Amino acid sequence: MCRINTIEVKELTKIFEGKVKAVDGISFNVKKGEILGFLGPNGAGKTTTLNMLSTLLRPTSGTAKVNGHDVLSEPDAVRRSIGYVFQDTTLDIELTGRENLDFHGRLYDLERNIRQKRIKEVLELVQLTDRADNFVKTYSGGMKRRLEIARGLLHHPKVLFLDEPTLGLDPQTRRSIWEHILQLNQEKEVTIILTTHYTEEADYLCKHILIIDFGKVVVLDTPEKLKARLEGDVVTLLFRDPAAIESFRPIIENKDWISRINVIASGNNYAAISRMMQKKPKIPNYPIKEKIIPEMPSRIHENDIEQVQQNREQDTSNPHYKFKDDTCSKCLNLLVDNGGHRIPEIVKLAENAGVILESVELRKPTLDDVFLSVTGRNIREEEGSFMDMIRRHRIMQQARGRPSRG
Amino acid sequence: MVQPLSGQAIYVVLLRELKRYWRAKARVISSVAQSIFFLAIFGLGLGGFIGGFSGINYLSYMAPGVIGMGLLFGSVFSGVSIIFDRQFGFMKEMLVAPVSRTSIIVGKIIGGATTATIQGIILMIVAGVMGAFSLSLTFLIGTFTAIGAMLLITSGFVGLGVAIGSTLNDFHAFQLLSTFVMWPMFMLSGVFFPIDVAPLPLQVAMLCDPMFYGVELLRWCLLGNGSIILGPIGWLISLLVIILFNALMVSLGTLLFSRAQI
Repeated sequence: MCRINTIEVKELTKIFEGKVKAVDGISFNVKKGEILGFLGPNGAGKTTTLNMLSTLLRPTSGTAKVNGHDVLSEPDAVRRSIGYVFQDTTLDIELTGRENLDFHGRLYDLERNIRQKRIKEVLELVQLTDRADNFVKTYSGGMKRRLEIARGLLHHPKVLFLDEPTLGLDPQTRRSIWEHILQLNQEKEVTIILTTHYTEEADYLCKHILIIDFGKVVVLDTPEKLKARLEGDVVTLLFRDPAAIESFRPIIENKDWISRINVIASGNNYAAISRMMQKKPKIPNYPIKEKIIPEMPSRIHENDIEQVQQNREQDTSNPHYKFKDDTCSKCLNLLVDNGGHRIPEIVKLAENAGVILESVELRKPTLDDVFLSVTGRNIREEEGSFMDMIRRHRIMQQARGRPSRG
Repeated sequence: MVQPLSGQAIYVVLLRELKRYWRAKARVISSVAQSIFFLAIFGLGLGGFIGGFSGINYLSYMAPGVIGMGLLFGSVFSGVSIIFDRQFGFMKEMLVAPVSRTSIIVGKIIGGATTATIQGIILMIVAGVMGAFSLSLTFLIGTFTAIGAMLLITSGFVGLGVAIGSTLNDFHAFQLLSTFVMWPMFMLSGVFFPIDVAPLPLQVAMLCDPMFYGVELLRWCLLGNGSIILGPIGWLISLLVIILFNALMVSLGTLLFSRAQI
């Protein structure tokens, strides 16, 4: 039971240009054969941490050991133990898939026979055998990602870092990459750290989850325990008139069966999404110039499609509908004891207050809610406070290869 | 900081350079065509007007300079291409591997020097076909020494390219590099006119241009003479300057590259 720590991190800190704290004194351990998920929004410090653990960046202070080797004093031994699948593609697109793998195998000093055998193996694992001799520039995004994961495994690393392994991929490809990751972890006992801002990915893959925000460890626990921290059910209310959020809030604020109230972007609320799709509001202008892929819930099912249709009917029957563009995507998110039984009461309260509810949604807490409760923000809500945004933007710029000399 | 060199890593970086060079046919063709234009238009056109210098016809005079141009541009750009490797992420793949940065850069320099020298050999053949050289036994021996000289010259300039590429992060700076570094070096290298006929300030500038010594050396190899100003031991002076430049640039490139962060 008491297995050795493959990764030990103590008070690791990275300050860029003496000002921006991208990673702020984080500490954690990962046991052999475990999958740890770094969960956090863009710019939280996930990639910077991985870059320090992989010896690409020098920590400003603190220490870290990977596979028993210190990242500062034994960088070569660390690099020999790890595989790193970067967030942005790092393939040479002018070479073929096989050549990319061959190049990697040679860099890691694999002998010819072993190299060829393993190239064959990993190509089969990620199902790229028939495209291996095509130039990488002809590959799709998912194929490139799979090739990169294959490459990260070629030298049989003890530790694998996966930085946003499924960012921007379609659901099937994502699912198949998840299966590869689990297979690897189980068959080869590879210890894995993966970063993601998809909570369902972290939930599905990781034994432990470390929520990181503004460079600090907010919480570290198993997904089950994290979810169990939130006792009760999540009730999400969408109002016909979004201004009602503020007027309704005081009414429920003093109820002892509501343990938490948040106003959130309705990224996870199907009714709100369907309404947005009909209304075609202005697409929010993301000021952060990064690849932000607006995430639609992958769990839309038939009921939601019905909902969309219902809303559409309502809409045409009542042409006086008006939503302010800026608030139409907000809803109230409540953590309620025994939620199912409280819904009638909530509805009654709303009726008495004269506000009209458009939809009520009841569900069990997910990691999204955990994230919301520990950081106060929705993980996919890119429009946080203005200062947050500026700060994230700066951290991202620093972390993305604008080198600070010296 | 002395880092261990790994033969395998050097070889693999070199192999990649060669593969990419071999596949970038457009680059090879455009560089050869450019040199042909120079030789045909200036060499034959301007040559008809000028005639030649100290008994050498103008086309022959220009040929080593035009070969030098191919070497200069080819080698500096292949060094600077580390900016692209960084931009497109491939650099991270190399940096996270358990090989020293020195090995990567040594591979890059050997690779860049090899491809630029192949370019130079092609240009030498083109110039020969255009009648720039008189075929003789001394010339044949000269071509071999010229190939050696090319490798020496280009590795220094790849080093310069790597040094620039490690410092600049922006490939928009390419244009500036080309206008303010490459073209002056090319034009001051004595490709169009001998240093001996230039006014004093220009002579000083030419003597400060490392490429001038490269072209001098090539001219000694291919034509058997050089400028009057450096005298009969001009080839030795040029060789020493090139070796010095080479050592400086290779060290500088290696140093700056190993310091640069991703």
